[in-house]
Amino acid sequence: MTPDTDLPSSLPDESGNASPGVWGLQSLGVEVQQVEKPAGEREAREILTRAFQGRRTVFPCGGGTSLSTGMLPQRVDLALDTTGMDKVVNFDPLNLNLEVSAGMTLDQINGFLAGQEKRFFLPLDPPWSSRATIGGAYAANSSGPMRLRYGALRDLVLGVRGVDSRGREIAFGGKTVKNVSGYDLTKFLIGSAGSLCLVTSVTIRVYPWPDASSLCDLVFGTLEELEKFLAALRSSVLLPSAVVVTDLAGGPGVSDSAGIRFRVMIGFEGHALAVERQKRDLLKLAGEFGGLGGARTGRDMMLDGIRSAVTPVSGWRDPLFLKISVPVVQGPRTFVALRRLIHDHGLLGKTTLDGANGVMWLYAEAVHEKTALNLVKDLLNLVPAGQGYVAPILAHRNLLQSWGARVETSLHQLAFQPLKERIDPTGVFPPIL
Amino acid sequence: MEKNRTLKRLQEIVGAPNVLWKDVDLAVFEYDAGLNKEIPGFVVFTRTAEEVAQVVKFLHREGISYVARGSGTNLSGGTIPLNRGVVIELSRMNRILEIDVLNERAIIEPGVYNLTLQNTLAPLGYYYAPDPASQKVSTLGGNFGENAGGPHCLKYGVTSNHILGAEFVWPNGEMGWVGGKSLDAPGPDLLGLLVGSEGTLGIATKIMVRILRSPERVLTLLAIFSSLEDAGKTVSDIIGEGILPATLEIMDNLVIRAVEESVHAGYPTDAEAVLIIELDGLSDGMDEQAEKILEICRRNGVISTRRAKDAGERAELWAGRRGAFGAVARLRPSYLVCDGTVPRTRLPEALSAVKQVAQKYKLPIGNVFHAGDGNLHPLILFDDRNAEEMERVHQAGMEILKICADLDGTISGEHGIGTEKLKGMPLVFRGADLEMMRSLKAAIDPKGVCNPGKVIPQA
Repeated sequence: MTPDTDLPSSLPDESGNASPGVWGLQSLGVEVQQVEKPAGEREAREILTRAFQGRRTVFPCGGGTSLSTGMLPQRVDLALDTTGMDKVVNFDPLNLNLEVSAGMTLDQINGFLAGQEKRFFLPLDPPWSSRATIGGAYAANSSGPMRLRYGALRDLVLGVRGVDSRGREIAFGGKTVKNVSGYDLTKFLIGSAGSLCLVTSVTIRVYPWPDASSLCDLVFGTLEELEKFLAALRSSVLLPSAVVVTDLAGGPGVSDSAGIRFRVMIGFEGHALAVERQKRDLLKLAGEFGGLGGARTGRDMMLDGIRSAVTPVSGWRDPLFLKISVPVVQGPRTFVALRRLIHDHGLLGKTTLDGANGVMWLYAEAVHEKTALNLVKDLLNLVPAGQGYVAPILAHRNLLQSWGARVETSLHQLAFQPLKERIDPTGVFPPIL
Repeated sequence: MEKNRTLKRLQEIVGAPNVLWKDVDLAVFEYDAGLNKEIPGFVVFTRTAEEVAQVVKFLHREGISYVARGSGTNLSGGTIPLNRGVVIELSRMNRILEIDVLNERAIIEPGVYNLTLQNTLAPLGYYYAPDPASQKVSTLGGNFGENAGGPHCLKYGVTSNHILGAEFVWPNGEMGWVGGKSLDAPGPDLLGLLVGSEGTLGIATKIMVRILRSPERVLTLLAIFSSLEDAGKTVSDIIGEGILPATLEIMDNLVIRAVEESVHAGYPTDAEAVLIIELDGLSDGMDEQAEKILEICRRNGVISTRRAKDAGERAELWAGRRGAFGAVARLRPSYLVCDGTVPRTRLPEALSAVKQVAQKYKLPIGNVFHAGDGNLHPLILFDDRNAEEMERVHQAGMEILKICADLDGTISGEHGIGTEKLKGMPLVFRGADLEMMRSLKAAIDPKGVCNPGKVIPQA
């Protein structure tokens, strides 16, 4: 969508912009009056206390990779940039948990874990892990294909600390996997997109570095072969960590499935014997359905393969980034339909399917407002309410205004809106979905 | 509203035979597996979601409180009807509605027993991961309400991690779906809030769960130790080695003896601790992992180890663990199960502190627990006819909760807060935290009719 204002038209490099989230907010059509970048929780509390007393509105933002998952107001008094809160608060390797400040990026977290004498990792791999902060991932409910083996963000988070709309410290959950003390606010606040509180730190499960890792890289020539292969994989005893599907058409979208060759990348991790056996069995299984390809060994190889599949390769120029979710069986056909829609609307774009979970990412850039609106209308027809979700990750505010209800009206009326009114009565934080 | 009019209306909705109103009938529903008792006003057996919605709508309009109930196995008083509220009994809603193997989902009604679902899935080569010890009788609706755990949660997570959607009757009687077969519903994780809310935010009338492919191989080991501390250290060392078994379960000597008298599982009665270790997954590499585990056991002074040779032997080893709560009931007329959880490396400290509590209050306390995830289950044995002893039990229970909270843990890992642990909530939450929980309750149930008096202490 082309904005009317003189905004930068490409993503500034990471060293060149102190507040990528704030910049992103502005580029998506939100008028920002002031920016604050607290270095820690205490400072954040003071800022929010002042905001509450002065009846100012606050929009928390981190790396700016999922700004449109919630509501984008026309104007905010204060953009609260969390990227200054980027410390490891506590690492407990024996209990496999880590508490980090909200502004740490996922790559920074994994860098820290990999740098330990006994290496660990966080299996959270949403798009743009180099810029996505843990607080932002939490607020936007962002997960990646490795949720197949390790669970989604909601399965990895053990506890959360934050600041409420009055500037008071709040904390839910803790360091233990099992915890049913009180309402599970740790889960409820996931996906709340900054509408209920500011997240200042998150405690997450981490895993020991696996003995062995491998990435099988396959190509299937037809949709039918792909579908049959994925179904056979699901019903097998194999335990992949991630299954991602992209297409080899390249460039603009293709007009029908006949033009697509599907690239399928499947990661395995674990005991070396188990990885070796699965690699062998998988290639055999793929061959039964016309799949061709091979396997590469090594953890970096595996992670890079998956990461490159889910992360848009280009910069950030009038972006439209969407997440589409359907029942897993419908994934491949919906994926092909997405490609067709991109073609029909004359867009440059990239689509990726998490082949084991039915989640797709659609990224296009330089999208004009009218085109974006028409594309979204078509997508909502393709995946109607009740059969899946079409959700914006990055989209201009004008598009969100025309989008219509993103959660079922009854849920909004029965739960979300009354909750918002009680938890944030003066509307310090952005509106709730 | 006059009692007779209430009865008449409830009978109109569900049929006269499906409403209990005589004191003698109601007495059966005045308790659950916790300690507290309260007699209900009525008990209503519903057969459909629509009946539940109609009953709830009526009670909401009249300002009469209600509580949903399955088998009543919850251990914290969560299904006790306060203020003569109405019990909505869901155990007759017990159909498995759909098993969608292709999408790896199943939809069931809340009255289905956990084990019934497991037994239905097994021939298809699938299973449902959460497996509370009460799975023979506990319902999936109850598991939903309590966010039930179980031995296999170490590797696979608790109920909340396996619920993908639910048809839900809200406190005012409106009905709709939350979540579904597609992942990542936009907005806050409402389903994550509802699971484990102990029936205080509404009633699940259909539940969609994730089902998993049965593992290729399961390997079960039993390790015998001369001290509880050694067994606990072994657990930490196994995880520290990077091995994640499906289960790591410990029982102490008091429980071992009770189990042997009751179930005859083949545990040595002179052992101070037995540790059950189960691996599952692919065959490849499993024997090597088992050997590594046995080496860790040896390093920690294990007396002996056993490996289940077949499914029959595995079932035998598990029969002892699953029958543990029932077995200790033979020792004294009553028991209180504590449910605190600590980071697993702090288990030895917690166990030692629990031993001191037993001495201080002169009460026998057995220990059976999910060691892998630090979930303690000290069983305080007593005679509930002895008021003075009851008082000591309550004090000991509260002290154990405080021990867990002080060790960076929490007061309930899987049994819930109910009425019994309300006083412990300030041990783990501060004012603003509790206020936010109260705001949630008030927003969703402004009339306060849906299982009131549970989970959150009054301000």
